[in-house]
Amino acid sequence: MAQQLQSINLAAPAFKGINTEDSPLQQDTAFADVADNAVIDKRGRIAARKGHSVITTDKTELGSAAITLIKEFRDEAGNTKVFSAGNNKILSGTTTLVDETPVAYSITANNWKAVNFNDKIYFFQRSYEPLVYSTSSGAVETLSSISGAAGTANVHGHEVLAAYGRLWVADFGTDKSTVYWSDLLIGHDFSGGTSGSIDLSKVWPDGYDEIVALAAHNGYLIIFGQHSIVVYGGAESPATMALVDTVSGVGCVDRDTVQYTGTDVLFLSHSGLRAFSRTLQQKSMPIQNLSASISRDIINLIDTETVSFRSVYSPENNFYLLTFTGQTTTYCFDVRGTVENGSYRVTRWPASTFKSYERAEDGTLYIGTVDGISTYTGYQDNGETYRFKYYSPSLTFGDASRTKMLKKIKPTVVGGNNAQMFLKWAYDFSGAYKTQEITISGSQSPAYFGVAEYNVDEYSSGILTNRINSNTTGFGNVVTIGLEADIDGTEFSVQEINVLALLGKIL
Amino acid sequence: MINPYQQQLIMPAATQSAPPSFNMVTGATAATKPAAPATPMSASPPATNPLDSLFGGIKDFFTNYGDIATGAAALGLLGTAYGDLGDIGTSARGYATDLANTQLEQTAFKPYTITSATGGQYGVSLGPDGGLQTTMSVSPEESAMTQLLFGGAQNFFNQAMVDPAQRTQNIYGNMLTAMQPEMQRQQLMNEERLAAQGRLGVSSNMFGGMAPETFQMNKAQQEAMNNAYFQAVQQAQAEQAQQAGLGSQFFGLGYLPQQQLINALAPGLTSAAAKQQADLYGANLFGEATMSGIDAYLASALGRANLMGEAGSGLLSSLLGNTGGSSVIGDITNLLSTLGVTVPGSTSSTASP
Repeated sequence: MAQQLQSINLAAPAFKGINTEDSPLQQDTAFADVADNAVIDKRGRIAARKGHSVITTDKTELGSAAITLIKEFRDEAGNTKVFSAGNNKILSGTTTLVDETPVAYSITANNWKAVNFNDKIYFFQRSYEPLVYSTSSGAVETLSSISGAAGTANVHGHEVLAAYGRLWVADFGTDKSTVYWSDLLIGHDFSGGTSGSIDLSKVWPDGYDEIVALAAHNGYLIIFGQHSIVVYGGAESPATMALVDTVSGVGCVDRDTVQYTGTDVLFLSHSGLRAFSRTLQQKSMPIQNLSASISRDIINLIDTETVSFRSVYSPENNFYLLTFTGQTTTYCFDVRGTVENGSYRVTRWPASTFKSYERAEDGTLYIGTVDGISTYTGYQDNGETYRFKYYSPSLTFGDASRTKMLKKIKPTVVGGNNAQMFLKWAYDFSGAYKTQEITISGSQSPAYFGVAEYNVDEYSSGILTNRINSNTTGFGNVVTIGLEADIDGTEFSVQEINVLALLGKIL
Repeated sequence: MINPYQQQLIMPAATQSAPPSFNMVTGATAATKPAAPATPMSASPPATNPLDSLFGGIKDFFTNYGDIATGAAALGLLGTAYGDLGDIGTSARGYATDLANTQLEQTAFKPYTITSATGGQYGVSLGPDGGLQTTMSVSPEESAMTQLLFGGAQNFFNQAMVDPAQRTQNIYGNMLTAMQPEMQRQQLMNEERLAAQGRLGVSSNMFGGMAPETFQMNKAQQEAMNNAYFQAVQQAQAEQAQQAGLGSQFFGLGYLPQQQLINALAPGLTSAAAKQQADLYGANLFGEATMSGIDAYLASALGRANLMGEAGSGLLSSLLGNTGGSSVIGDITNLLSTLGVTVPGSTSSTASP
């Protein structure tokens, strides 16, 4: 007698992102074992990320180097100017990169940090004299050359923060425990007025630490050490600010991992991505682990990273990107919500060539690569395809002891016109996947809501949805389903995957 | 030959040798009662009067040798009377001179010493040049006290003359030493507060490169130190004034024995003046008495000389009779008058001395 097919409907697969921490057999099917070059789209589906479109047409000054810093300067009159750094130069512009490095200013490293402050943009890098640019001056100058500059010899730091009307500088060549702040609204005066400093060497909760990053949040000045955090309240008046809280055992890996999401301060610790939650009613500042689903993966990357970290928060895309530039890996954390273990939904962008980010005032996400400056748009990486990957966790159909014989895999995908899609399945944790190549039918360009509203797109059929029916073979106790697609100019997302299997005997 | 009257008039030795003294026992000066003036020269003639021998000789002459002898005795008596009258004038002159010298000595300044009840002495004497020479001395106890007070005054003045800045520094240092424990406690408390607030390393350029609390604490401490310094300055000045005052006080007290001795001079001088006045009065009495004696003596001697002259004249008159004798007597009388001897009953004029 023929048995009835068992159906497992993976609705919105990988809705909860990657989970490499929990046991595959006990995992929620909403997690994914692999979610490469993917994001969680606006409908909660796993989808292919956007590509980057290079807008730089003349990168002569950049040469073969990569853009390691992008910062948009916006003056009080609303004028904007995009600065970048690379090839041991300070550059400006997006299409044509112009060398803005001051004359006779030698640069041998490209790990700058730039901040906007009081109609100027300041550039800081350890052991380098800070640079400053203003619309009125029209050129990048050394900080000490600014009229009225004072005490600038002490602030050749690596970390800079513009907050509470001052510049805060830390992480110097030899001094790793002192934070200097400038005079009020005068970013080039570090020895007069209300400027000052604080030595944290006797404040660290663990006895010793080194300042890595600074952040301003909720009226507090957060000072990140490598392995501890100290929080000062009343930073609006730094001379009287007082210690509010200290955190031991959690620090920050790199200054460029700190991002503000409005409600949280995200930073990468040695144990993963964490956040200071904003607490208006409570005085405490709880720390959340937002990468609990991929802790060991990200820790491995942290431990082996030797180049730099870059991150960006894009409210338009609802994600926080964290790139390990030396390992060409980017993790994308969806910040719209957390899953039951408190972590963000996370996907991975492998083979990432992204070296820097900047979210412009208009929401444009700039990406720095060796090709210059790109924008996060389209579905090609500088005209080339990239592969979207999804692999489910191990599926047991409710009974791991019984044999499963897959009969059909019926994914419902959105977009991906004429894209090559590869359905994969494997049994019993084997890496030997059986693959079926499928070409997604249709050549219709999808129309987006609100875009070209009065154009023909308004009356198009919208996003192309394909329900694919693929017959499968083989059997085993545990089944893993995979789906890969080369993204080549169109969006691609997975609505659901329906798996039909026949349950066999108990082995 | 020294006249016995003159011998008496020179001065009683006790009176001249003992200087006037003053006793301060009751506080009132009482000059030592001066010695009684010398006893006025007695007017009684001496026991061995030469006239007696003269008249005895004449009697004997007339008895033994008759008229010749009578005549000779008369002439002798007249001659003797004449001679005695001359001697009397000479003696009177000498007596007057002696009296003048005696009174000059009696009225001359006599050194004296005033002794206070505590043993201090004030003396006035004649110096070698004839001028007055005063000496003043206090008792050994007073002298020792004076030296002690002068020494103390010197010490106080030495201290008063020390640079006030140095003393100020010393006082300021002492005050800082006293303030130091509290300042250290405040500093430690401030450090603990700063450490508890994680602000131990705060350095604000607005507050001189330190935390505001530290700045305020240091400011307060500096103000306290400034106040201490000003107090030290005032204290040093007060001490200087006090030292000067004590020095002045001690210095003044050092002169107190002398001052008391000087105070004792007033009654002493009054007594000395009284003594001097008494001396002068005594000398005056002495002079007057002596002059009375001299006058009496002269009168007696003159009387005796006159008696002797009258006796000689009588003898001559009886011898010479009324014829020729009167002229001889008149010649003798004139001769005696020439010698300054008044012959009783003589009508002839006498010569001026």
